[in-house]
Amino acid sequence: MRIFCSLIVIFIFTTSSAHSDDLDVDLSRPDVQLNVSFKGSELLIFGAKDLQGDVIIVVRGPTKDTSVRLKQKIMGVWANTDEVVFADAPSYYALAATQPISELLSAKDLKTERIGTHNLGLNTIKKPKGATAKIVQDFTDGLIRNMKAKSLYTKETGIVKRVGRQLFRTNLWFPSNVSVGDYTVDTFLVVDKKIESRKTTHLQVHKVGFEAKVFNFAHEHAMLYGLLAIVIAVISGWVANVVFKTEGQ
Amino acid sequence: MQIYLPIAEISVNIFLILGMGGGVGFLSGLFGVGGGFLMTPLLIFIGIPPAIAVSTGANQIVASSISGVLAHWKRGNVDLKMGYMLLIGGVVGSTLGVWLFTYLKTLGQVDLVIQLSYVLFLGTIGLLMLIESLKSMRALKKGPIKRKHHNFLHALPFKMRFRHSKLYISAILPIVIGFVVGVLSAIMGVGGGFVMVPAMIYILGMPTSVMVGTSLFQIIFVTANVTFLQSVNNFSVDVVLAVLLLIGAVVGAQFGAKAGAKLKGEQVRILLAIMVISVCIKIALDLTLTPDDIYVLGPTGGH
Repeated sequence: MRIFCSLIVIFIFTTSSAHSDDLDVDLSRPDVQLNVSFKGSELLIFGAKDLQGDVIIVVRGPTKDTSVRLKQKIMGVWANTDEVVFADAPSYYALAATQPISELLSAKDLKTERIGTHNLGLNTIKKPKGATAKIVQDFTDGLIRNMKAKSLYTKETGIVKRVGRQLFRTNLWFPSNVSVGDYTVDTFLVVDKKIESRKTTHLQVHKVGFEAKVFNFAHEHAMLYGLLAIVIAVISGWVANVVFKTEGQ
Repeated sequence: MQIYLPIAEISVNIFLILGMGGGVGFLSGLFGVGGGFLMTPLLIFIGIPPAIAVSTGANQIVASSISGVLAHWKRGNVDLKMGYMLLIGGVVGSTLGVWLFTYLKTLGQVDLVIQLSYVLFLGTIGLLMLIESLKSMRALKKGPIKRKHHNFLHALPFKMRFRHSKLYISAILPIVIGFVVGVLSAIMGVGGGFVMVPAMIYILGMPTSVMVGTSLFQIIFVTANVTFLQSVNNFSVDVVLAVLLLIGAVVGAQFGAKAGAKLKGEQVRILLAIMVISVCIKIALDLTLTPDDIYVLGPTGGH
């Protein structure tokens, strides 16, 4: 994947007139660590550009097949009915730009570059029989609304601030329910409705310390974890009984 | 102060969880019930994924039942023979329940089944309790009421003598009751005391002295079985969340028990009935009122 990415980068740099050092991007930290006290985290993305122009930053989280269901009222009760499964939907999507994106690039370019939550370009793995494009679009909109409600997709385009003529910066918010994995940060430099330069950086979100140990243990040694959970409960219950009995008398 | 839960994968306020544990513990001490039927809906309400809430609820109930059963054990209020019969049904029922839970999850219907079970069981039990306690309150003025019924249940085969409970009944009865409670335990994340205790009174005709102790004895093993199977099949037990809940619950239960000693038995039952019905109404409204969004993320998405 990384080789593929760098091939694309080389391809772009050799075919476009842009200089490779038009654009530099870095993050305030190379990773987001999910530890016991994690309650969401802010990350600073900053960079410098040589040319006059606008900046668009897109951050995508690890992808996974995501199921969306339609609730319908059946016998007076809201129940899940039709299901659409989207292939490789990003678990996180953030967008920030110096100006509204519709003013920076044509709708066609935004679509090919997958910029904006309405341009995710999702494919379906599973859909109800005879589902029209309109119906699938309703499910797509439903997915985006749900992810926005969880603060996992940006509700509104974030603001990339210019600092002087060359520097720019933006803040990204990672809520406490983010998925672990590899995140890509794509930065585009746009001049006269054309992408002049682009840069891809990576960001890791991972569990550390106690959280990582518990999570890995629960998944790798599920039986032992289950037994341990019971032992902890038994001991706590017994201790509680002993402690409160002596205090009560 | 926020704490990040490693399995639920969200950040929660530690004092909110301790407080919830304490509040439910207080009520469980007051009413002599496990409180799982309050805890699991509360956990779902504050944003814990339903699967995690159900499994972690079961884990927490193991602790509170142990703590409760020890007190009854010392007073000799556990009918072991009856407990074992309930347990046979309970282990089979809870194993089937976890399997059913996993299957419903793949169908995307697990939330609906959890909610419907809550409405059905809490509604029925709550109403029965309310009517019964109102009746007996009136009857108290006239004289004691007769509790033992003789019907077809007493004609069933495989009769066994339960000395402790002073009963001679078919072993099928406690096994079936244990089975039903086991299934509910796995699906609803409850101990099932609120189903078992009425069943013990009205179907088995057990004396009240051994009822709670024996029910707690069975609940320990059934919820332990659920904890184990949910850990293995669904990776959905959050030990950190369970420990926080049980710290709150054991402390709350002590105060609840003291408060309960000051109330009359009938008053306690009416209050419990009202609370059970309130939870039922809340969940029924969630099911029937138009949701915020008619499109929801399925089990493969979200976390």
